[in-house]
Amino acid sequence: MKRVGVFICHCGTNISANVDSKHVAEVSRRFPHVYYATDYMYMCSDPGQEKIIQAIKEHNLNRIVVASCSPRLHEFTFQKTLERAGLNPYLLEMANIREQCSWVHSRSRDLATAKAIDLVRMMVAKVSENVPLQRPSVLINKKALVIGGGITGIQAAIDIADAGYPVVLVERDNTIGGKMAMLDKTFPTLDCSG
Amino acid sequence: MSVASQHPNITLMTYSEIETISGYVGNFRVKIRQKAKFVNHNLCTGCGVCWEKCPNMVPNEYDLGLSARKTIYIRFPQAVPNKPVIDRERCRWFNMDGKCGVCQEVCPADAIDHTQEDQVLEEEFGAIVVATGFDLYGGENAYSEYGLGKYADVISGMQFERLSNAAGPTGGKIIRPSDGKEPRDVVFIKCVGSRDEAKGKSYCSRVCCMYTAKHAHQVLDKIEGSRAYVFYMDIRTAGKAYEEFYRRSVEEGAIYIRGRVSKVFPVFPGKDKLIVRGEDTLLGKQVEVLADLVVLATAMIPSEDSDVVASHIGVSTNKDGFFEEAHPKLRPVETHSPGIYLAGTCQGPRDIPDTVSQASAAAVKVCGLFSADERELDPIKSTVNEAICSGCGICIAVCPYKAIEHKTITEKIHGQMVQRQIAAVTEAICQGCGNCSVACRSGAINLKGFTNEQMIAVVEAACQ
Repeated sequence: MKRVGVFICHCGTNISANVDSKHVAEVSRRFPHVYYATDYMYMCSDPGQEKIIQAIKEHNLNRIVVASCSPRLHEFTFQKTLERAGLNPYLLEMANIREQCSWVHSRSRDLATAKAIDLVRMMVAKVSENVPLQRPSVLINKKALVIGGGITGIQAAIDIADAGYPVVLVERDNTIGGKMAMLDKTFPTLDCSG
Repeated sequence: MSVASQHPNITLMTYSEIETISGYVGNFRVKIRQKAKFVNHNLCTGCGVCWEKCPNMVPNEYDLGLSARKTIYIRFPQAVPNKPVIDRERCRWFNMDGKCGVCQEVCPADAIDHTQEDQVLEEEFGAIVVATGFDLYGGENAYSEYGLGKYADVISGMQFERLSNAAGPTGGKIIRPSDGKEPRDVVFIKCVGSRDEAKGKSYCSRVCCMYTAKHAHQVLDKIEGSRAYVFYMDIRTAGKAYEEFYRRSVEEGAIYIRGRVSKVFPVFPGKDKLIVRGEDTLLGKQVEVLADLVVLATAMIPSEDSDVVASHIGVSTNKDGFFEEAHPKLRPVETHSPGIYLAGTCQGPRDIPDTVSQASAAAVKVCGLFSADERELDPIKSTVNEAICSGCGICIAVCPYKAIEHKTITEKIHGQMVQRQIAAVTEAICQGCGNCSVACRSGAINLKGFTNEQMIAVVEAACQ
């Protein structure tokens, strides 16, 4: 049976200044398959994640929607949370109610809140169709290529090589050194650039 | 530089370019073109007789036209490797039917080999660090009012570096390119290209305030009785000991004038002095400064053919053409292609402390990847429903990662064994962008985690 939990973040005032996070949580409870919904000041913090883990255990949840920031920022964080609670990390969906809602709709709290509710409803619908996914793995060839023999490429190559791994440093000119070697003294210490 | 060349774990491949990159994290296949040097570096001792005796002089790009070099050459005396290459485009042997060959005659190691050809090597790597650097804005055309390229004594900041460099064309003596005399009044113009939306660059190049303060210091330090004027928009010295460094140049006597320069022109034709006309916004007046030498702090721009590099490594660029990192704050040296990392000015203007920090950051990411024998991949991958795939190949055309190929399967249809082509996804290369799934006419390709059923559920919920 699908048992969805919904967690609405305030992100301090990043979200809650323009979106009524509490109200979004209340409305979310009425969506299909939703057995639990709540809101919290910082969902990504340790206490926030602990709230999710506790709710999964107490309410026997098997799918989670976190409505907070862009998944680019914290999807990995919350996938780990699900794993710690014993769920497959791909039974998580994130509703982006910060970048794509509160930050761009600062003029109307009512409309922003209505949009946040829509975004959560969409993700509840999606997560209800999610299936557990397994991560494939590949073997790693422990040899690095550094493209560019300026100060940056040289430093990266030395650091990787010092760690014991072979490195090929490719430079298109006939010497390494790049722009740095063309310079005279360098600020602020005025030491040489060789 | 020499640490890198002497390190037992580093193989240097200079005079080489990347041809193609294929594969995926932990398993990249890279073709590298080793350009012909026409000098056998295994035999060459770097003694230098060849470039001393070579009769052919051409402008030296390394000194930005301020000196000449031979057509068999090293970039500078401390170059790494310290062995020459022949400039095929301009060498007499190549362009005058084998007439010349002086280098070959004088080489005591018999290292000159005019028959050498480019070699393309293929190697496998687990991780790639992209550190392809930057170029400098030319300014000749865009700022014709400043006279770069028109008046010999208007030079770029990098040309000033070469003049001031002990290993440069003048041995570190700052001179006027027109007559070789030591300048007395030197005017520096900042933000040439940077922060000028009219020139398509809204960004700050971040290093010019500091290197101009350094240049002013060098003028005042090296030339007795000299004066240094700096035209500026703002002074940005955000860095450890940077503000102090700028203050020091002021205390040494550098004169900072807040305002833009409108024109640089000779006092009158034939005279050796230039007039720099600009505004001083603090005085609210137009000012003119008599100059012996004018130095332009030109903007940092993406390196030449960085767009080609971007397409090789599958990285996107921002509006200015610099490579885009996965996240500006939290994943600053990663790209969206696992195993490919960015560092330094290929991402945008940076100073040396920042590029070195980024290089170490990228190195740590590589070492982190190498610390395990296997790496888990994201499971958001495309899968083909073989039963309904028609093998039309549209997905192959739209895949930006070259993760889809045709494969032939054998099926039993009406009791007969029939062979037909269908699409096959290499999971390790697929980045889960979903292009194929959108383009597939028969709905045969589905993206795990974003299946057609899931997306329809989302759309239905949105329409409620």
